[in-house]
Amino acid sequence: MSRPGAGRVTSWRLALRIAAREALRARGRSVLVLVMIALPVLAVTAADVLIQTQSVSSVEGLDRRLGSAAAQVVVPAEGRPMIQAFDPYDGNTSDGRKQEPPAAADISAALGGARLVVERTGGVDVRTDKGYASADSVEVDLRDPVAAGLVDLTSGRLPQDAGEVVVNRALLDKGYAVADRLDIRGKDAPSPVIVGVAESPELRTYPYVAGPVGSLGVSAAYAGGPTWLAAGGPVSWETVKDLNAMGATVLSRAVIEDPPPASEVPAEIRSWSSGSDNAVIAAVALVVVMALLEVVLLAGPAFAVSARRQSRSLALMAASGGTPAQTRRVVLAGGVVLGGAAAVLGVILGIGAGWLLVPVVQRWSSTWFGPFDVPWPHLLGVAAFGLASAVLAAVVPAVIASRQDVVAVLAGRRADRPPSARSPIAGVLLIGGAVAMAVFGTTSGDTGAFLIAGAAILAVLGMLFIVPVVVIGVARLAGRLPLSPRYAARDAARHRTRTVPAVAAVAATVAGVVALGIAVTSDEAENRGTYTPTLAMGQAAVTGYGLKPAKWDEIEDAVRREVPDADVELVLAAAGRGSSVQITAPHHRGPLLETMTENFGSSILVAGAVPSVVPGVSAADRARADEVLARGGVVAFTDDRVDDETAVVRRGHERVTVPAAYVRFTAGSYPPLAAIVPPAVAERLGAETSTGALAVTGTDISATQQENLSEAISAVSRNAGFYVERGYQADQGTKIVQLVLAGLGAVLMLGGTLTATFLALSDARPDLATLSAVGASPRRRRGVAASYALVVGFVGAVLGAVVGFIPGLAITVPLTAPAYSDTGPFLDVPWLMILGLVVGLPLVTALIVGLSTRSRLPMVARLE
Amino acid sequence: MSSVLHLNVVTRVHGEGATEVRALRDVSFRASAGELVAVMGPSGSGKSTLLTLAGGLDAPTSGTVSVEGVDLATLGNGGRARMRRTSIGYVFQDFNLIPALTAVENVALPLELDGVRTRTARAAARTALDEVGIGDLADRFPDHMSGGQQQRVAIARAVVGDRRLILADEPTGALDSETGEDILRLLRVRCDAGAAGVLVTHEARHAAWADRVVFLRDGVVIDETGTDAAEGLLESGVTR
Amino acid sequence: MSVKQALLALLEQGPRYGYQLRAEFEQRTGSTWPLNVGQVYTTLTRLERDGLVEADGADGEGHVIYRVTAAGREEVAAWFTTPVPRTQPPRDELAIKLALAVTMPGVDVGSVIQQQRSATMAALQDYTRLKRDGGNDLAWGLVLDSLVFAAEAEIRWLDHCEARLRRAALEKPAVPAPVDAPEVAR
Repeated sequence: MSRPGAGRVTSWRLALRIAAREALRARGRSVLVLVMIALPVLAVTAADVLIQTQSVSSVEGLDRRLGSAAAQVVVPAEGRPMIQAFDPYDGNTSDGRKQEPPAAADISAALGGARLVVERTGGVDVRTDKGYASADSVEVDLRDPVAAGLVDLTSGRLPQDAGEVVVNRALLDKGYAVADRLDIRGKDAPSPVIVGVAESPELRTYPYVAGPVGSLGVSAAYAGGPTWLAAGGPVSWETVKDLNAMGATVLSRAVIEDPPPASEVPAEIRSWSSGSDNAVIAAVALVVVMALLEVVLLAGPAFAVSARRQSRSLALMAASGGTPAQTRRVVLAGGVVLGGAAAVLGVILGIGAGWLLVPVVQRWSSTWFGPFDVPWPHLLGVAAFGLASAVLAAVVPAVIASRQDVVAVLAGRRADRPPSARSPIAGVLLIGGAVAMAVFGTTSGDTGAFLIAGAAILAVLGMLFIVPVVVIGVARLAGRLPLSPRYAARDAARHRTRTVPAVAAVAATVAGVVALGIAVTSDEAENRGTYTPTLAMGQAAVTGYGLKPAKWDEIEDAVRREVPDADVELVLAAAGRGSSVQITAPHHRGPLLETMTENFGSSILVAGAVPSVVPGVSAADRARADEVLARGGVVAFTDDRVDDETAVVRRGHERVTVPAAYVRFTAGSYPPLAAIVPPAVAERLGAETSTGALAVTGTDISATQQENLSEAISAVSRNAGFYVERGYQADQGTKIVQLVLAGLGAVLMLGGTLTATFLALSDARPDLATLSAVGASPRRRRGVAASYALVVGFVGAVLGAVVGFIPGLAITVPLTAPAYSDTGPFLDVPWLMILGLVVGLPLVTALIVGLSTRSRLPMVARLE
Repeated sequence: MSSVLHLNVVTRVHGEGATEVRALRDVSFRASAGELVAVMGPSGSGKSTLLTLAGGLDAPTSGTVSVEGVDLATLGNGGRARMRRTSIGYVFQDFNLIPALTAVENVALPLELDGVRTRTARAAARTALDEVGIGDLADRFPDHMSGGQQQRVAIARAVVGDRRLILADEPTGALDSETGEDILRLLRVRCDAGAAGVLVTHEARHAAWADRVVFLRDGVVIDETGTDAAEGLLESGVTR
Repeated sequence: MSVKQALLALLEQGPRYGYQLRAEFEQRTGSTWPLNVGQVYTTLTRLERDGLVEADGADGEGHVIYRVTAAGREEVAAWFTTPVPRTQPPRDELAIKLALAVTMPGVDVGSVIQQQRSATMAALQDYTRLKRDGGNDLAWGLVLDSLVFAAEAEIRWLDHCEARLRRAALEKPAVPAPVDAPEVAR
């Protein structure tokens, strides 16, 4: 003690030695902690390795993009001086006045006389059995040495002239074979012969075709500007900047492989990336904090039990002169030992898992991954996270252990101290702060979401202080309960250092799920609430614009072929621009409709009755409109109520006054047309009519029919589409998100509950032995375990649900009431999910715990 | 006299081969209603094994253990557990109360485990606590009671529900001699009231409370004293 | 000898005559140590000689009544505050018996011990039963306790003897020391 520094080192060494022995002795508990901490570390490590492997960095992607060239020079269409990041893909912009774009010779000269090879990248549509498929394309002389590495020839040979191309396996799978002619969409498109199979180093399942310049008919303009591969010496950053000044962007091998200092990146470009960085950092920080909190809470009970198991040794240590700091250190050292082991284990296994998963994930990806990549700096952070979570989990047990009542421990009393009266007040204050922060977050625009997420963390922290009081309250109320739950509730309250983190872990999980659940369902409510039907409910129609009658005939044939049971009704529209026919109400000033789309090829339909496909017309309005149309009148759609009985219809100098029905669209639909005129009126005005849409009626259209018909129609024309109005369809993604949320919540809840329960059971060994001795049947152990799980799960879920409402309700405001829209905020609380979480999940967890518990009581008569 | 507990030529062997330990060898033992029998012997003599066998917490390697005429081997685990709730009461050296339950709840435990309604069970438990003289402490938790009070609770738990076999394993081991004597007096009273008691101890002074003392050495009964309870009362003089 | 001090202590409660003293002594000690009247009067004479008691006339039936003197009171006080000297171990006969038994071939020491233990245990049970039935008489209870603890000590001593014999038998198997259970205690 005379040398404090040396004393501390020795003390830590002693503490670590004790902790390591304790960890070895209590294997089950150690494994539990190891798994709990190593799993997230493993998962994040594996994901990080996969992401890093999957993403192709500038350096890794050089050969894919440059072949063996020293640089790729692109002259964008702007015709102005350019500024760019080291890799022009990371950012480039024009800056300065228009100037003459540089010619190939100028560029070659700037590159010190490098040889330039023309390259044109772009895309083509190739005909397939069903219609057309898109393919990425590149035109370059593949036999030029500079192109080596751009494609990877697997069979056949490289094209020799503009009549030949190579394609990848994915394109062959669309119905082509080597020696076929490639049928490229376009009037004067060439149809080159496929002479070989070559894989793109980038695209795996996406069609790809490559051939010499001219073989695919890709115009230079379409390809984003003239592009060259430069064969020659290394291109320095100075040269790149010179070429920028000339109006070109340059991808230089030398610059990417050995970049100049970051300060060399032009300020304009640099500011691009930093704009989103803050948000990303904030989001990552939030996720890390939440995850840390969750892991700490999950691992906490294990350390609490560990500290309690050691309490006698610790009390003896204190009795023989150990300081509270030394006691603390012994428990903390447990966190260091287990956390360190878990972090190392997690990272190593994570790298292994990543390595094993790369080929699996590759199969799902349309592009080729980069080389296997282990991002050591990231992983160091991940490992630090693991270590930190274990140490943090050990902090509270360590502090409690250092303050324990030595006499009580040595006398064998085994209960926690009564809770501090101040802690619930602190908890209420924190939660109050969280509410305030959340409310403030609803009014502060872009940063609101982060404030609200921060409020979530604050609320969960506040809840931590309230959990002990609630647990004790539950124990007080337990007096009337049957034996097992009464025992579980009281025991939980007695061992709060073990119970509180477990309850809090469940609560934090439930809070997160409830908050996200409210956010997701409210978002969904907004989507549903602002959904605009394209057609009347249940109707199907082919719509298109600018189609010649022959195309419509072709489409009609396709419809009859694909949906043979359907009736096809022609929806006629007034040809030409909708504005050529104008309708005004005699007593109404201003336009009848403020805004509108032209869903049926024109704003004015020509029909003797309101076509069934027109959405947003109530049944009464439809009857009224049909009646007026039958009398030779017109139907005009309006935003406001118009009481006129007639309308003035004009086209050029023609003008008629006819009876009119003024109809307002039902709420929530966006006007798809302006008016319907009967054929007689159209004829009188001399308006030509043409097909505006084909209504497909008389049968239910299956998803497969819809898909087939859509493909057939897209083969006829790109400007036609087939649509079936099925009402609002919940986004598949939303459902998946909800399922994943529920699943994740269930897993974490199960994890938290299981940990606490099994720790409690191992702690309760003496009690279980007593129960056995006074005649409890072996099944009783299950009952106690299930009750324990129920107490932890239920208390946690209720608290979590309450706390989850704070950020949940708040987040709906920025989420569903964007500043630029006058809708919302939408609020939809997923009561069923919350009920399931609060009532169902604890019951299911209790059931699982009960069933998975060994039904065996310890058969010991006397415990030493 | 009817035997409440009867061990018939019981042998219990722990382990196998080189580590084989014969805890009990061909022991026959009876405890009758109204009788308190002490089993004495040094540690390792097999006295605790005898008690765990009698309570159905362990099964003999050979021989039979019967409680109230029922061979415990014919009952399943569940049946033996029921036996412990309804016929056999255990008292341990370290009390073995459940700290999460109050005194009255601890006492009511066997009844509740047996499916008796909570209210009824608690009423019976309160009566049992009154009988051991600590009715006023019924709602305390064990942590807030002295050792003697806790052991009284344990005895109340062992006798509640009119059980006829009380198995006590060093019940006074953790108590001072005066308190220990009170506990023995309680046991004695229960036995005089008709229960059969088996008291395992290594202290002669405590064994002397029994009607009969059985000496165990290395798993074998080597001697027995005071086979007739009535006889001893006649000679109240000093015998030596 | 403590009879002297015991009579003095009784007289300190008030003047009594010889027969009364004897009755009271027996009642308080539960007839554990029987006294005859002659012994009482001899003792009283000796006490009077030493100036610790004095005769104080006679009652109507001619019994001489004794009362304690100031010196007598001092003597009683001193007696109560002086520990009883541990002279002459009372179990000498048993000790000698055992000592002889171990050295003489052909004697089963184990059964000697067990017989003694059973006898002592039976006595202990009797004392305990007396105690149980004795009600609330504290003085009598304390006397019984002294007997109980003495008997217990004897049994523990016998246990100890047995353990030592077993160990000796283990270490020197040649020496015949038959014990009931030849197997070694764990």
